[in-house]
Amino acid sequence: MVGNAWRDGLRRVAAAPAVVVGIYFITLSAALPLALSLRDALQGNLESSLAAGEAADGVNYDWWQEFSSQATGIDTTFTPTIIGFATTLDSVSGLLDRRALSTPIVWALAIYLAAWVFITGGILDRYARGRRIGAYGFFAASVIFFFRFLRLGVAASIAYWFLFAYVHEWLFARWYGNVTRDIPIERTVFYWRVLMYAIFIALLAAVTVAFDYAKVRAVVEDRRSMAGALIAALRFIVRNPSRVMGLYAINVVLFLAVVAVWALINQGAGGAGVWMWTGVAVSQGYILLRLMVKLQVLASETALFQRSLAHWGYSAAPIAAKPEPPIVEIA
Amino acid sequence: MRSTPGLSAIVVTLVLSTTLDGSQKFDEPAPGARSPRNANYEIDVRLEPRDRMLHGREHIRWRNISANPTRELQFHLYWNAWRNAESTWLRERRLGGNTTTPRPDAWGWTDIRALRVTLDRSYDLGSHLRFIAPDDGNTADRTVASVSLPQPVPPNGMVDIDIEWSAKIPRPFARTGYIDDYYFFGQWFPKIGVLEDAGWNTHQFHSGTEFYSDYGVYDVRMTVPRGYIVGASGREVTSTDSSNGTVIHHYHGEDIHDFAWTTSPQFLVFTRTFTHPTLPQVQMRLLLRPDHAGQEARHFDAAAATLKYYGEWFGAYPYGNITIVDPAFQSGSGGMEYPTLFTAGTRWLAPASVLTPESVTIHEAGHQWWYGLVGSNEFEHAWMDEGINQFSEARADEAAFGTKNYLARRYFGGFIPWVFRDIPLKRQVDEGLAGYRAQAESDAEATPSFRYWPSTGGNITYFKTALWLHTLEKWLGWPTLQRAMSTYFDGWKFRHPEPADFFRTLNQTAGRDLTPFFDQVYRGSNTFDYGVQLLTSTPAGTGHFRTTVAVRRFGEATFPVDVLTTFSDGSKKTERWDGVERRVIYRYDTKVRARSVQVDPNRVLMLDVNYTNNSRTLQPRANEASLKWSLKWMTWLQDVLVTYAWLV
Repeated sequence: MVGNAWRDGLRRVAAAPAVVVGIYFITLSAALPLALSLRDALQGNLESSLAAGEAADGVNYDWWQEFSSQATGIDTTFTPTIIGFATTLDSVSGLLDRRALSTPIVWALAIYLAAWVFITGGILDRYARGRRIGAYGFFAASVIFFFRFLRLGVAASIAYWFLFAYVHEWLFARWYGNVTRDIPIERTVFYWRVLMYAIFIALLAAVTVAFDYAKVRAVVEDRRSMAGALIAALRFIVRNPSRVMGLYAINVVLFLAVVAVWALINQGAGGAGVWMWTGVAVSQGYILLRLMVKLQVLASETALFQRSLAHWGYSAAPIAAKPEPPIVEIA
Repeated sequence: MRSTPGLSAIVVTLVLSTTLDGSQKFDEPAPGARSPRNANYEIDVRLEPRDRMLHGREHIRWRNISANPTRELQFHLYWNAWRNAESTWLRERRLGGNTTTPRPDAWGWTDIRALRVTLDRSYDLGSHLRFIAPDDGNTADRTVASVSLPQPVPPNGMVDIDIEWSAKIPRPFARTGYIDDYYFFGQWFPKIGVLEDAGWNTHQFHSGTEFYSDYGVYDVRMTVPRGYIVGASGREVTSTDSSNGTVIHHYHGEDIHDFAWTTSPQFLVFTRTFTHPTLPQVQMRLLLRPDHAGQEARHFDAAAATLKYYGEWFGAYPYGNITIVDPAFQSGSGGMEYPTLFTAGTRWLAPASVLTPESVTIHEAGHQWWYGLVGSNEFEHAWMDEGINQFSEARADEAAFGTKNYLARRYFGGFIPWVFRDIPLKRQVDEGLAGYRAQAESDAEATPSFRYWPSTGGNITYFKTALWLHTLEKWLGWPTLQRAMSTYFDGWKFRHPEPADFFRTLNQTAGRDLTPFFDQVYRGSNTFDYGVQLLTSTPAGTGHFRTTVAVRRFGEATFPVDVLTTFSDGSKKTERWDGVERRVIYRYDTKVRARSVQVDPNRVLMLDVNYTNNSRTLQPRANEASLKWSLKWMTWLQDVLVTYAWLV
């Protein structure tokens, strides 16, 4: 069942390339304006200096440090951690270590997550039906579920706020702090930290899965009550724990595989010209794969739910059809 | 009591030290010794692990090497810095941004239980002891104690002092204390201050500075539980088992000005001998934590490199033995120097392409020269050990390990290292220029170090000094600078030099007056910043081009710089500008167009806070560079966005 649902998920994602492309462009659009702003700052700093040549051909760390010493706003995030695989280490450890993001990044993130909330209804509807629903159908479903998912998002935000504000504090500052403060061996302290990460990731995953299935049930069963959808999701998870966890574990393995590939083939600093565009292609390919993993999670969870409680392609709501324009009557 | 030195006091001191070639009258080596040996200690100390206490007795034989008699004695009681929250050390730590309140079990202190002084006869002066705060008048600070004497000690006069004390071992502060069964003891015993011609130089313990004391012979017996391994300054003479489950380790060190020790049952002990065709043999002993097993070669190689390069450049290491202590994780005792012993610093995951632990080992071993042998005053002139050593370490790092040093960042709570193979670190540029640039004007280096702003003082002490020494190296040439530094080392080993002694040696060896340079880098806080203001190269008829170059001094400090103009056929023109005026303009009529201009193309002036503006080209590539790096950054941001999208 789990394996079939996972493969189903892959098929559904592959069958809807427009969703992948669309979500990629949303990701690009969220990042591009800030990247352009940074580009202006870098260009303004380098002007016609010879330092630009070394920076273009490789890394001019001397210039980089000088730029950083004068940086404000998003420019302060221009650090070596943007090179190659460090990007992923930085973003994942930043999330798990609860590192604060700079204000412009927070705004970009907020807009990006809001966009996800908006289109998730359309994505799930597309995956639930397993066939084309057209742009109108996709966005109609997105609109229909946007406000429902917004309500669900409020509940999710409270859960995440509790996890990050209180549970994280308790795990990493209090428990970890108290238990490791007298340990003089780094390796042992690290193992404790790994344990804290494992607990925290498990809690985050539990919340994520619960809200994922709430969204799946809301779409597949055309639910209007999000509280009802959440309760139904929890009921489904409790009744099918091994399937839910098994599927999630397979998707985590897929995520790790994508990250491993990125670790192996990323370009590092690279140079200018064709070499630079090769690097861009590889890095954007990685971002695309990360997005596909996220979509695969949604698609496979939808498939698992449908295989368990409904049937392949079942969805309670009819496809939203674009109404004909009045002109057709005259014609 | 030495009062707080103001500018006039500094000037007087400089003048005196310049004219007298050292202010002390009786600081010549004692007969048969390398140092004056005027502060000699016999100490018996017992470690009580259960109570985290030290109980000790010490006998100090002290000789007045100043030109004046004294009617008082002053002592450092450093551990009282953690006796209460209002000590000067903790106040300054808060000022520096660390507002963490020490946990109840973290405090430490020293209580003197008895004090007897023998002059013409023995006097019990324990009840006469009073705490003083010569630096800031802080009545809550108990890190300096004074006792008046019933009769003065004349110049070259001797006094015997017997002290009994107990000390609560703190959780690690300032690289001393305990964690689990690991102990490191620095500044752990009542230590007599330094009497100079101007009076007692006994500063309170400050959060940003270190120590100062006279040379002598240390004979120390440390009683620890059986099974505990001991490392200490000096050399072990005997190790005696007692019937009560303890072992007495007897160490003896000569011509040293401090004594530190460590003990733990966990240490792995390794030894290796350093040999060299012209330098004395040195027995190296490494006390390694078990979780760092396998890293012993890295420590030994780095320590040997220090003995070799510092020995060849400055002078031989004379003691014959050195102990490297690998400190316990979270002990806070890493990266610290003591005579013939130092603490290194490594991590469980320590990539081979990153110079840690090597750079820490070289730095701390290097302090055997700049601090241990040349005993400058770390309270007032911290740059004389830390800054000079920072420069020396960077040279030794490079000489020993070449360019095998890459930037690394740590993730996931600081445990997981990631090495940036694209970013090899260069000794002159990447060793502190960024830190100095950010804090360049925070304090003039001539300000007494303990008065530096706590959170920025390190950048002046370490990095500004290293940068101006790198500048001197490039300006004067390494042979000249090396000769000057070895002359300075040779003239001031086992003594207490002042800044003027260092500057005078440099002037004499270089054969030129570098005072204007020192005025700027040492006595002032102005910044250096030269840049290209204008570069044009336009047709001027009949196949000629008129090139105009305007170079500007943006900073207040001045330094002679070269101006290199490169033309499109590869030809070059170099001008020498004294850098004094605000601006200089050069004009060239050539058959080809100019391509670029560079100010200070050989990067002599390492203190230039903005090197990007030092060049300009008519074939700029800022477009390419900014596009490339903003796209890299965009990938990072996309990664952040996608990672957080996991939550929705």
